[in-house]
Amino acid sequence: MSTSVKPSGTAATRGRRRGRPDRKAWAFLGPFLALYLFAMVVPVFYAIYQSMLKVERNGPMGLGEPSVGFAGFENYSLALQQETFVDGFGRVLLFGLVQVPVMLLLALVLALLLDQVSHRWAGLLRATYFLPYGIPGVIATILWGFLYVPGVSPVTDVLGDLGFQPDFLGYDNVLWSIANIVVWQFAGYNMLIIVAQLKSVPQELYEAARIDGAGPWQTALHIKIPLVRPALVLTTVFSIIGTMQLFAEPLVLKKVAPAVTTDYTPNLSAYFDAFANANLYLAAAKSVILAVVAMALSFGFLSLVTRKQRSER
Amino acid sequence: MSATSTRTTTGSEAAAQPPAAPAPRRRKAPRPGRIVLVAVLTVAALYFLLPVYWLVVAATKSNDSLYGSFGLWFDDPRLWDNLSRVFSYDGHVYLRWALNSLLYAGVGAVLATLLSAAAGYALAKYRFAGREAVFKFVLAGVLLPSTALALPLYLMFSKLELTNTYWGVLIPSAVSPFGVYLCRIYAEAAVPDTVLEAARVDGAGEARIFFSLVLRIMTPALVTVFLFQFVHIWNNYFLPLVMLSDDRKYPITLGLVTWQQAADRVPELTQYTIGGAFVSVIPLAVAMLVLQRFWQTGLTEGSVKE
Amino acid sequence: MPTRRKVLAWGAAAAAAPALAGCGEKVGAARTTTATRRRPGQKVTLTFWTWVPLQKAVALWNKQNPDVRVDVQTVPANTSGGYQKMHSALTAGDPPDLAQVEYYALPEFMLVNGLTNLSEYGADELKGAYVDWQWQQGVFAGKTYAIPQASGPMGLFYRQDLFDKWDVEVPATWDEYRAAAVKIKKRGSLITAFPPANAQWFAALPWQRGARWVTTEGDTWVVDLTSPESLEVADFWDGMISDGLVSPIQDSQSAFFKGLQTGGLATWPGAQWYDALIRGNAPRTEGRWRVAELPQWERGAHASSNWGGSATAILQGSRHPVEALEFAHWLNTDPAAIDLLIAAGYGWPAARMELAGSALGKPDPFFGGQRYNEVFQLSDRNVDTSWRFAPTTTQSYAHVQDAFGRVLAGHGTLADALKDAEGKFVDDLKAKGLEARSAR
Repeated sequence: MSTSVKPSGTAATRGRRRGRPDRKAWAFLGPFLALYLFAMVVPVFYAIYQSMLKVERNGPMGLGEPSVGFAGFENYSLALQQETFVDGFGRVLLFGLVQVPVMLLLALVLALLLDQVSHRWAGLLRATYFLPYGIPGVIATILWGFLYVPGVSPVTDVLGDLGFQPDFLGYDNVLWSIANIVVWQFAGYNMLIIVAQLKSVPQELYEAARIDGAGPWQTALHIKIPLVRPALVLTTVFSIIGTMQLFAEPLVLKKVAPAVTTDYTPNLSAYFDAFANANLYLAAAKSVILAVVAMALSFGFLSLVTRKQRSER
Repeated sequence: MSATSTRTTTGSEAAAQPPAAPAPRRRKAPRPGRIVLVAVLTVAALYFLLPVYWLVVAATKSNDSLYGSFGLWFDDPRLWDNLSRVFSYDGHVYLRWALNSLLYAGVGAVLATLLSAAAGYALAKYRFAGREAVFKFVLAGVLLPSTALALPLYLMFSKLELTNTYWGVLIPSAVSPFGVYLCRIYAEAAVPDTVLEAARVDGAGEARIFFSLVLRIMTPALVTVFLFQFVHIWNNYFLPLVMLSDDRKYPITLGLVTWQQAADRVPELTQYTIGGAFVSVIPLAVAMLVLQRFWQTGLTEGSVKE
Repeated sequence: MPTRRKVLAWGAAAAAAPALAGCGEKVGAARTTTATRRRPGQKVTLTFWTWVPLQKAVALWNKQNPDVRVDVQTVPANTSGGYQKMHSALTAGDPPDLAQVEYYALPEFMLVNGLTNLSEYGADELKGAYVDWQWQQGVFAGKTYAIPQASGPMGLFYRQDLFDKWDVEVPATWDEYRAAAVKIKKRGSLITAFPPANAQWFAALPWQRGARWVTTEGDTWVVDLTSPESLEVADFWDGMISDGLVSPIQDSQSAFFKGLQTGGLATWPGAQWYDALIRGNAPRTEGRWRVAELPQWERGAHASSNWGGSATAILQGSRHPVEALEFAHWLNTDPAAIDLLIAAGYGWPAARMELAGSALGKPDPFFGGQRYNEVFQLSDRNVDTSWRFAPTTTQSYAHVQDAFGRVLAGHGTLADALKDAEGKFVDDLKAKGLEARSAR
């Protein structure tokens, strides 16, 4: 009855007395595993399969009746030859290198500062900072979009009165305007993760520090920050994954910001290839490339961090 | 958690620190530092609230005063008028969208929670060959970029004729590997083996044990998983965008973007987009404010272990 | 240790995979056109997707042909979703019988096998009723795939009253146009707008100069956005932009129409069908407009080009191609239908017709009594008909628009933008599986 997923090499602790509960486990695991395979695992393989197909053009000038054939890695090489697609990766990496640290720094600072404030205020402020997380990214982008467009935005109004002419949606600035939206949305959420970690710091450590005469700065630097490291690692990994997939914010902002092209991020490029240009197989290849790069970066980061940790012990 | 040994300072900066009172855990920072602290926290609060405040003000304005008056203060407020037009436009499609969002997020999150609870429980409380391998396999799914999946899902579902149906959105939404992880950790910690053994000795079947006993014990984790998944589905844009072409099936997110994109041809839609955003954001904001402790609890419980 | 049998089995499967790959996959139109035999008296309904308001013409047909009823459904205009809808319907296998498809989009539809081969139903005999170059737009590899409806010969709309007031001569060459621009700027207006995101409009300008952005060599598509002619045009407009002689606003929207109405914009090098847009959006300027030939690059020449134009296509999968062809031909050649279409502002007819007799030949009070369509007729006859459209026009022109947008924001020149867009254009064609290369 057991659905074979992956043959395991772990030590067989097949309790013979527990023969019946053993099988029952699969009954509980089954529904989730079935859907998981169907909606998360199989699509990956299907995408890889589709990425290896191509449309074969026949007839004069290629305008005859088309057919589908095997492409091998042609779609991958086509995608990597498209300068704009590769530029999208560079753009997203640059975006991540700036946005993720800024956001986590903000989250960390807020978490530490909140620790210094009375319980009631801390609760209220925490809720305020967390609020943007509940607002869907596209709605946040619509709102910030209004705040960026001169004529509607009170921000540009006020800055204009002060003598500045900000061009939030200009070619050089729109990437950072998008970064602002992402920071606004997720800083509070990441702050909560850090706060949760902070709360699990045993009080004895603070007591000991206080007795030793450490001020709030030193407590923060030497105790709190090192102890929230696991939380920081977690938030960084998720932020990397999220940043690589940047899609909704540029897509919605595109309407008011002509600087956002159809290849602005790799995900946008794959989307337009599939739905605007009907290049489904190429889009599948782009999705696979994106997934591979994102996972490589997360694994790379994780192994870097764990290796550092192991060397520290 | 890796513990770092507390370093003792040689008292140079500590001299500025007044001796701490014995009872209260919190210590008040020195006065100038306190002002900076409050200032930073206030500016942060203003930053996070700015768009929401703007939204509240803008929702009360007519299309003309949107462009004419100052963005941060009211001008001839007509909130009810605007909202009634938002609701009635295009055959009350907005209400349809709201119901769709609730359907996708609500039903999806319930299904996800149930499935995750069952799977997490199985992984925590039963021993079977391949258990850790399955767990690692599921964990890998947490790292899988979800938007990279939406396109392949679309390709698959269009072969199965599941695109542009409610199921096309619900099925992927009901899968939460992160939920399985949370539930396993919680079940391991909170569900005592003794209770399970006792129930089995009493003759209860496994299913009965799960539904009447285990689920009750696991409630805090279930609430957390539900909330996580609800927000995740509610906020998800790429999946419904790719799956749905019938605008009657859109969730609010997709619907409002459609309005925003058509606003240059149909100018009233700018006002309707703002009104629609207002209606969807305010209850969400209130919910966030009220429920944020659940996230904290859930995250404290186990997600931040290495 | 995997057994030898297992290894062999996997090997065989791996070798077979490429052969099996792609089986079960179909691309393009899901259903092929078949002519269902019609019993006499049997009623047929045809669906027609369009965004042009031609309901009156269709109503006339329905009155005259009770057995073949045409049901017009309005879809969003071309790239605002109309073509996407058509493509989706084709892949789903339930397309409308008839659809409005612009000339530049016909190759796109050919790529997905989306158009019915009308030569099989006798369309070739209808050739004589149409202007040749418009007919050729629907011909691929010697077979006909669409019935042309209308085109958009270019001309110069200008404000006669402002020219009189400011003592400006109607420019006959582009040099004169520039001189006029300088004069007009001194008066506080601008000679015209340069839309940052309208590659179709811009393309008409190098077209007039004799550039050919897209050609074919055998089965290879050759993209040439940077020929000397093309760059000459780009440099001219670069100069106009950098000297502030043109307004960098998008055409066909409120700020543009405001300019036309108030005299902020004194001219507009546009297509014939812009007459309806000016009439509708700048009504207070009645009587003040005239039309002249486009300024020329060589004095005394009459070179012209085209912007827009569409055909009535019969999509692949129709069940009544014979009746649909009959209707399409009637719609685009019957004098009564043409009159109704002209009234709806649909553009320059593809049907061969005498200007004098029709509504188009009359002196028009909006244009101060000028028989302005005579200018367009001359223009139409001088359109360089060697211009081709690539099957990726929509997405490739978007690259041109993106690049132009950057120029108008202060980064680089139009010539650079064209160089940039050319590479992306070739990429687009290759992504479709077509053979393509850059010209230089």
